[in-house]
Amino acid sequence: MTGVGGGEIPALETPALEGAPNGGAGRGFLLRPAAPLLVLLPSLVLLPLLAVPFLAHGGGLDLLGQFALAAFTPSLDPLVLRSALTGLATTVGMALLGWSASLVLGLLLGLASSRTLWRSCWGQLWPAELIRRLLAIPRSIHELLWGLLLLQLVGLQPVVAVVAIAIPFGALVARVVADLLDGLDTGRLEALRLASVPAPAALLTALGPPLLPGLLSYSGYRLECALRSATLLGVFGLGGLGTDLKLTLQSLEFHELWTGLWLLLAVMLALETGLGWLRRRWLMPRRLGLGRAGRGRAGVGARGREMVLSLAALLPLTIGVGWALGVDPRALLAWQPLQGVGGSGWLDGERLLALPWPALIGSTLALTLLAAALAVGLPPLQLLLSAPWPAARRLVRMSWALARLWPPPLTALLLLLVLQPGLITAALALGLHNAGILGRLLAEALADATPAVEQALASGGVRPRLALLYGRYPAIARPYLAYGAYRADVLLRETVVVGLVGATGLGSQLLESLSSFAWDQLLALVAVYALLTLLGEELSDRVRRRLLQRV
Amino acid sequence: MAAAALLELRQLSVAGRGGVPRLEGVNLVIEPGERVALLGPSGAGKSTLLTVANGLLAPSSGTVLWQGEAPARSRRARRRQQARIGTLWQDLRLIEELSVQQNLNAGRLAAWGWPRALLNLLLPLDTAANAAVLARVDLAAELLGQPVAALSGGQRQRVAIARLLRQDPTLLLADEPLASLDPRLAASLLALLLAEATPPRALLLSLHRPDLLAGFDRVIGLRAGRLVFDAAAADLQGPAGVARLQELYRGEDRKTDGQADGQTDGARDGAGDGEPGEPARPAGAGSLWAAPDR
Repeated sequence: MTGVGGGEIPALETPALEGAPNGGAGRGFLLRPAAPLLVLLPSLVLLPLLAVPFLAHGGGLDLLGQFALAAFTPSLDPLVLRSALTGLATTVGMALLGWSASLVLGLLLGLASSRTLWRSCWGQLWPAELIRRLLAIPRSIHELLWGLLLLQLVGLQPVVAVVAIAIPFGALVARVVADLLDGLDTGRLEALRLASVPAPAALLTALGPPLLPGLLSYSGYRLECALRSATLLGVFGLGGLGTDLKLTLQSLEFHELWTGLWLLLAVMLALETGLGWLRRRWLMPRRLGLGRAGRGRAGVGARGREMVLSLAALLPLTIGVGWALGVDPRALLAWQPLQGVGGSGWLDGERLLALPWPALIGSTLALTLLAAALAVGLPPLQLLLSAPWPAARRLVRMSWALARLWPPPLTALLLLLVLQPGLITAALALGLHNAGILGRLLAEALADATPAVEQALASGGVRPRLALLYGRYPAIARPYLAYGAYRADVLLRETVVVGLVGATGLGSQLLESLSSFAWDQLLALVAVYALLTLLGEELSDRVRRRLLQRV
Repeated sequence: MAAAALLELRQLSVAGRGGVPRLEGVNLVIEPGERVALLGPSGAGKSTLLTVANGLLAPSSGTVLWQGEAPARSRRARRRQQARIGTLWQDLRLIEELSVQQNLNAGRLAAWGWPRALLNLLLPLDTAANAAVLARVDLAAELLGQPVAALSGGQRQRVAIARLLRQDPTLLLADEPLASLDPRLAASLLALLLAEATPPRALLLSLHRPDLLAGFDRVIGLRAGRLVFDAAAADLQGPAGVARLQELYRGEDRKTDGQADGQTDGARDGAGDGEPGEPARPAGAGSLWAAPDR
């Protein structure tokens, strides 16, 4: 789940090649890992994970084998197929609706929190800052939490998943829109305003064209995230394919499970490929600025009409999907009374303090770091190991695709077949999923980087792995790690989704409080989570800036 | 000579786009100790020939022999063959993010195993050997700890040559290393390369312009993918030699005639001008062209 992922991405800059600060040996400390080594360092986390066999509880290995074998023989029973297809359609529909709503929401809120806008139209800056601060709160709470909270409030409604996706995604899009806007040259806007063009028209004319490609590229990426999130929400009972997946896994119907998985994989890959095609066609900037900078920052150009028309076509599509899924926004207004809330003693200070806060927070942070190291460290290592064999490389990429679409709680359930619940199991589930996302990113960045040095090394008889390590990794090391830092902050939010099986951290406590209707605990936990996430965001921002710093 | 030829190309062809071959029927033998200049206008196929010679590009037909052996089937043996061939690239292909020392050690990567390759990214390795190759290219050992990105253009060229020396190949290939250098720098770099090409080594260096041929034993003329001449450098002196060179650049000269008139004075300082891709008029003080052009 990339869940709430990808916030400030377009703001990432490719660091200038010249002046990368890593001088290697020679000054300061003797031990100074150079760029390509930095990429591999996080994979050291694999060493403690070698302890995994000791966590095995014996049984379940044959079950895991059955699961793997079933991949080749998915059930083709028409009933199973129909149910999987229905589930898939629901999931895709929820993703689409949640995504469209988040775009509208994000665009409006993004405009509202743009410094440029407030300054040039009203001469004030503070409202922008205020809205920015406020938006940090919905952003810091994972869509699963929104989903579960809404579920308690309004019951199981199709609209719940949609809104659960729309709220945090909308806040993320808002931040990106605001950052993009503030990064633009404001000369044109001011010129139009001076010519007393009305504000909305001036905005559209001056900022629309340069904003559109970056925004479209980012929203395409968000659609992929929305699909993953919709699947995840299903796992927690909000309907769609995710629910089927979980039920079939729990009843060990592996053949039926794989029917759904393969379908989901096909949709996911089709979506990724289609969006990649559109990105190239519309010359949109690469995700994350990891690739070549500059190319495609050219503005809308000749494809502008096509972009606008495609966006316009989304409207009837969205309405149709909403109607088909029976999404009814009015359902949001009919709140159910929460059991016990408002009654005497529902807010119990002592009960709150009784929670083992330091342990909860500590294990959440440990889980985050472990999973982040795994997610960042695994892909470069896998690519390096598979470098000499094209077939192995394809296999690695396939495994990333599977990891991306396979919701972490399901991985965790699968791991529980052989491992004991705990921090490491949860970290594995979360880390593997995110390794799939980072792996794809790494592969894209490598494909964009020039092969010159790698070729030069290979022509001098250097082995493929070393040629890759020395020839390609140095240039992408810093942007990749910078993205990894950002990912760590996303992971912190995501720890909640493996709480179920982690038996550790704030996430599991949160789910426990939820199921025991301890609303005061729930509220406190959500607040602590949000606070941690905001701190983490700040920290990862700093790390990222440091990594991308030009010298 | 007892040893087999370092490089032998037999009837070598490389297909190109649109049916126009990039190389066609090229025959070439380079013996140890030879210093060979590969001359030709832009697009003649010089770079293609060099990438075939270093094994990066497989020819469409014909044979490549390295020290009398065909490129090995097994990857390991093939790499061993390629480790004896060193290429100086026009864009140098230094690893910008690493220090000079780490870059120099990258020249040893073919010989090194994983532990040393990883250690090189962590610790200064083989400082004495690296200082020695730096001294051979007239650079101070203090540069070892510097990031490559912080070096000047001339220093980068020298570091690239020093990396080649660390690799210690027997066949030195150089792809227009002197293009876009000022004449003094070009002359000193060429002197460095020529000095290293003593038996058992040999040097094959491609040049766009015929004004730096002093010091070479042999000159090969390439035009439109075909070998036009393969002559001892001495044979290209005098009016007959000049005529051959003019023939090699025929057409290209005409192409640039318009600008050339205005440029004749500037062209005296020769090697300084000229992007590699752009057809520069071969001219210059003391160049082989001087007489007939006036």
